[in-house]
Amino acid sequence: MLRDITLGQYYQTDSVIHRLDPRVKLGGTLLFILSLFFFQRYPGYLAAALFLGIVIKLSHVPFRFMVRGMKAIVFLLILTVAFNLFLTPGKELVSFWKLTITWEGVKTAAAMAVRLTMLIIGSSIMTLTTTPNNLTDGMEKMMRPLRVFKVPVHEVAMMMSIALRFIPILLEETDKIMKAQIARGADFESGNLLKRAKAMVPLLVPLFVSAFRRANDLALAMEARCYRGGEGRTKMKPLVYQKRDRIAYLCILLYLAVSITVGRLVWMWI
Amino acid sequence: MGIVKASDVVYEYIRRDEEGNVEGITTAVDKVSFEIAPGEFVAILGHNGSGKSTLAKHINAILNPTEGTVWVDGMDTGDEDRLWDIRQTAGMVFQNPDNQIIGQVVEEDVGFGPENIGIPTKQIWERVEESLRAVGMYEYRKHSPNRLSGGQKQRVSIAGVLAMHPKCIVLDEPTAMLDPSGRREVIRAVRGLNQVEGVTVILITHYMEEIIHADRVFVMDQGKIAMEGTPREIFSQVERLKELRLDVPQVTLLAYELKKRGVSLPDGILTPQELADALTGQKRGQS
Amino acid sequence: MSIILDHVNYTYGEGTPLETAALKDVCLQIPDGQFVGIIGHTGSGKSTLVQHLNGLLKATSGHIYFNGEDISDKEYDRKKLRSRVGLVFQYPEHQLFETDVFTDVCFGPKNLGLDRRETELRAYDALRKVGLPDSLFYQSPFDLSGGQKRRAAIAGVLAMKPEVLILDEPTAGLDPRGRDEILGQIKELQTTTGMTILLVSHSMEDVAEYVDRIIVMNQGSVMYDGVPREVFAHYRELESVGLAAPQVTYILHELRDRGLDVDAAATTIGEAADTVMRALGRSSGPGERQIRTNA
Repeated sequence: MLRDITLGQYYQTDSVIHRLDPRVKLGGTLLFILSLFFFQRYPGYLAAALFLGIVIKLSHVPFRFMVRGMKAIVFLLILTVAFNLFLTPGKELVSFWKLTITWEGVKTAAAMAVRLTMLIIGSSIMTLTTTPNNLTDGMEKMMRPLRVFKVPVHEVAMMMSIALRFIPILLEETDKIMKAQIARGADFESGNLLKRAKAMVPLLVPLFVSAFRRANDLALAMEARCYRGGEGRTKMKPLVYQKRDRIAYLCILLYLAVSITVGRLVWMWI
Repeated sequence: MGIVKASDVVYEYIRRDEEGNVEGITTAVDKVSFEIAPGEFVAILGHNGSGKSTLAKHINAILNPTEGTVWVDGMDTGDEDRLWDIRQTAGMVFQNPDNQIIGQVVEEDVGFGPENIGIPTKQIWERVEESLRAVGMYEYRKHSPNRLSGGQKQRVSIAGVLAMHPKCIVLDEPTAMLDPSGRREVIRAVRGLNQVEGVTVILITHYMEEIIHADRVFVMDQGKIAMEGTPREIFSQVERLKELRLDVPQVTLLAYELKKRGVSLPDGILTPQELADALTGQKRGQS
Repeated sequence: MSIILDHVNYTYGEGTPLETAALKDVCLQIPDGQFVGIIGHTGSGKSTLVQHLNGLLKATSGHIYFNGEDISDKEYDRKKLRSRVGLVFQYPEHQLFETDVFTDVCFGPKNLGLDRRETELRAYDALRKVGLPDSLFYQSPFDLSGGQKRRAAIAGVLAMKPEVLILDEPTAGLDPRGRDEILGQIKELQTTTGMTILLVSHSMEDVAEYVDRIIVMNQGSVMYDGVPREVFAHYRELESVGLAAPQVTYILHELRDRGLDVDAAATTIGEAADTVMRALGRSSGPGERQIRTNA
């Protein structure tokens, strides 16, 4: 069912990571991802895994919950690994049919798999521990300088947070309409591509009608509650850096320093 | 002057066919006048398409009258400069609970209105807390609205309006999409608002049992106010209510039926207790 | 020929932290031609239950037999089942999608692979049965009023000529007149065609007058199953699970508590008036006779 997609869905609990300023988490995630591509050798990955492990532990989100969310993108992971495995030129290891696996291929594929897994887990920790609203708040504040260039930062952030709020509602609605049309004999699963695309019409038309109706209702409700854009608006949860946020920044920098040292320099000495 | 006053309000809209040609003009509200006193609980009844929701949208300046004037706390709703003052004075709760909750956490949604009108952060928190307590949803403040029942969502919506400290709340069929227990929850919250907080309440509904506690009832039909009075006065006119496509509570219907069969009973019985009182009196009178 | 549910269980999200038992050991038998009300509050399992009957959901354990055949059997033609057990969802007007009402109603029969003539005949017949005037047949479904849209949507399922018709909250959001009209039409459908009808609702008051039998669902199990007057006798227990018997039940119990000798099992206004008149020591003519024949 559609509702089983848990990748990046907010996991409600209380932890240090949950309480961090979203800007710290956004920045931290970005730096972590970058760090994954800095090193060429395994000790760096070890450092990254260690760091990730500590963060997961601190976040109080069950590891099982994270892994389950990853199921949706396992396919992507396999594809990437396969590409690297078969298409990297180098010393031949095994060969069958038209495919050749090289020693270099194995190495890049393994590195890629590790990188991608950590990348996905790393970024899903951000979304798992931050409410989408908080996240958009963080983005809004981080991108505030862009307003100089007439980028409607507040509006974009508001649209994102509304979209996030309505995703589960529309998923449920899709499920319902689909069932209702199946009950009327609709067939979404068989036939060629064209036939399947045509079969989607009875699903998509009602879904769009419903989405527009909801959008209209919501706009009305927002106006009735005096919403008139970002001008003159105050914040219920303004973003102010706390002591823990500064400590978190320090930890991230420390991790970067360590991982770069371990990942590049130490290896060269050996 | 009352908190809400309408004088000869007419609302017309133009119907167009698919090519955009004018097909005709529909008069949704037709020369309606009324005045509502501060602290009153007014119910507006009517079948679908009677014009009750259109009328309600005038109070929040979502619609402006084609003719006539609506005043909210002395402000003409046609006055563009006072638009936000009007919307802050007269809050509005809509029918579909899913389509009016903006926040992804209950407390953030309740804070949305105060944020819009520029309330300082500390006071927003105070308002959010008191509003959620007033509708009995304080324990759910950290929850996602998607996980709440329909009745709970509507109570959050009410709290969201309440947090703007309105003098008047208009509820446009807030219970139409709820199950019986959700309906009871919402009506209890609305009554609390009126009695404890002293907020003027205008409740639009087609459920008869929800209006029993109102001070005054308007029944709308074809854009006009067809009946007006206390719930008891309204319920004593069973035939007229049926004509207007409305329901009558079963107890009132039973009393009406008994009267038709010759039992003498007072008009407009509203509760089982009242009927029992009247009937046991009969029995004693006979023996 | 009938529907039989044999120890049916259904669990949502099995093996996940969100695992919940939506149906617990449900055993039911629904004979042909019966008009059944399935009552329960939101989350009681009533909607889950009816989605099993046309194969949209598959029981985690237990068996469902339709006309003697097990519908979870691998050989069983579930597509055919869906045309024989018609399911009208809540707010069915949300699934209308064609450019005009008539074409929309044709969608179901067309999916059954019927030829054009038969499809159109059925669509026409279904639209007549729900009482939609001819003048609306070629209107866009989005231009109809709420009540008309709902009828058009119900016709969309009726056009498949099901033997069993299930309606999930067909009156949600309608005003009292709209509700009475739809329920009246469904009742007429049952008496004229002999169709089995299952009506899912959270309101006892609405269905009490129409149905032969009430099944009360609570927390995924069948709580009560019987004719309305039997079920309403448990009005205190019903209340404790968030449901309520019709107001009439309360009135009559109140009267009986005060020493008036009324029959508290009456479920309609007419029956209640009769029993009150008798208790008051006044005969009420035809009404009384009617009660006797009922008993």
